[in-house]
Amino acid sequence: MLELLLKFFWHLVVLSSIAWYGFLVFYVGYRGFFDIIDMARALNQHHAANQDEKPI
Amino acid sequence: MNFAAVDWVIIVVYLILTFAAGLWMRRYVGKVEDYLVAGREMNVYLGIASLAATEVGIVTVMYTAQNGYLNGFAGAIPGITMAAAMWVVGRTGFVINPLRASGAMTLPELFEKRYSKGVRWFSGVLVATGGILNMGIFLKLGGKFLVAVTGIDKPGAAQEMFHRLHLLPLEKWPLETIMTVLLLGVLIYTSLGGMLSVLVTDYIQFIFLGASIVATSVLVLAHCGWDRIIASAGASLGSGAFNPFLAKDMGIGYVIWQLLTGFACVLTWQTVIARVLASKDPASARKIYTRTSYYFVGRFILPGLWGLGALAVFGNAFKSDANPELSLMAMPNYLSQILPMGLVGLIVAGMLAAEMSTDSSYLLAWGSVIYNDIICPLRSKPFSERVGLWINRILVILIGIFLLLYGLWYEIPGRAWDYLQITGEIYFSSMAVLLVCALYWKWTHAWGGYAALFLGAVGPIAFLFLSQTERFKGIPAWIPGIGSFVLAAVGMIVASYLGRRREAAMRGSQDS
Repeated sequence: MLELLLKFFWHLVVLSSIAWYGFLVFYVGYRGFFDIIDMARALNQHHAANQDEKPI
Repeated sequence: MNFAAVDWVIIVVYLILTFAAGLWMRRYVGKVEDYLVAGREMNVYLGIASLAATEVGIVTVMYTAQNGYLNGFAGAIPGITMAAAMWVVGRTGFVINPLRASGAMTLPELFEKRYSKGVRWFSGVLVATGGILNMGIFLKLGGKFLVAVTGIDKPGAAQEMFHRLHLLPLEKWPLETIMTVLLLGVLIYTSLGGMLSVLVTDYIQFIFLGASIVATSVLVLAHCGWDRIIASAGASLGSGAFNPFLAKDMGIGYVIWQLLTGFACVLTWQTVIARVLASKDPASARKIYTRTSYYFVGRFILPGLWGLGALAVFGNAFKSDANPELSLMAMPNYLSQILPMGLVGLIVAGMLAAEMSTDSSYLLAWGSVIYNDIICPLRSKPFSERVGLWINRILVILIGIFLLLYGLWYEIPGRAWDYLQITGEIYFSSMAVLLVCALYWKWTHAWGGYAALFLGAVGPIAFLFLSQTERFKGIPAWIPGIGSFVLAAVGMIVASYLGRRREAAMRGSQDS
């Protein structure tokens, strides 16, 4: 009985992991792109405010 | 060779994208803070992509598949314990809230405020030693995977030429050549753009990596079928294939060790903590943790499924007590048989992505600790931003050279996961104890810090050397693993008590 439950548990874990990875690739891929744009914009503004910080 | 033109196109597109993005980010590096923690401008989704990509390398895929091949589904238990630890920490903000609010760039920096400058320096040495040794087998396993899956195991004209010029022994092709090329690529963009390059390349790598893991897992399920995987696991491993308490080389001690390590890892592992420190605020750091937590289950179970596929097809052919590394090769050999044209390119691009994102983050993490906590505390005057950046870049390159040399000669004594855990344990246990006590225990003392660091490192370091000898080869890794946590905690409590008592006695004698 325990082994049957464990087999069912692992089946669930495998399928949910595949689904979660698939979802993350698209969702985080979409949202992460805008995070990069925001980060670059913030760093640009920061460097513009501190003119002495040239790329090294 | 298993490659077709379309596979090469996928890989070349991936490499061009990665290098272009990595080099492009160099323009935003203006000071050391930009280089080490991306100017603390990282937001939640970029953090999730970066953390996920960093913590899945080819080495991860290799050892988790090895766990699946040797221990069945029970081999995925470290992923479940780590995911649980990450979710609890993200949900409660335990440690990461005060840590992010402290403004430190590394953990040892925080220890200077709470303990002493010496504790910071000593912990920096341990962090860098444990981390760099841990990373030592990454390139070797990465190279082995790529060689097996792509089938490039015969020397070509270029290698013959190098051999004739006495530059490369023929037997060193292709593993060492691939390792070197991989590392050189990573070194270029990491040393120039630091954390900013790492974040953006991690993002691209996350997409390739995630797509290739999903595609391969579906392919393995379609090829073997769930029933066959279950049946072969049960036949080869018995009930231990599904139950970690009954599995060979596991049991209750192993599961407890995984739980402790899971918490220690999410609280102290520099590459994980670097994302907390680079996040915009503590709330973003917590979201990154809760939303990435389930990724760690898949990190173990999906490559574990590939290992189980290999078990269904090859049986016990890749198991050998005399050569523990042989079992690592079951999964790549299995994939080389089932991957169709087009998908090989995606998988190899995904695995290259995995390897490069992990290597770049790790190089930067250990370089930053050496700079911030070993070199800087020795100086009375801080380095200028320009000198600081160049020292960081040189450190990244030096660590890369060491990894290349170390990866060539070290033989892994047992499961690769155990090696990684034990080398991490050199500082996991002591750092976890130091960190929790620094933030939540007001009676800590610098003596306790020293004692915890020393006692936490003794067991794992002794195990690394002793496990290479015949007499101590059979010791389960969880014994020194759990032992290091216990020793570190006892050392902290006893030495802090003694230190406080001595301070009180000295104050008393001064008063009188």
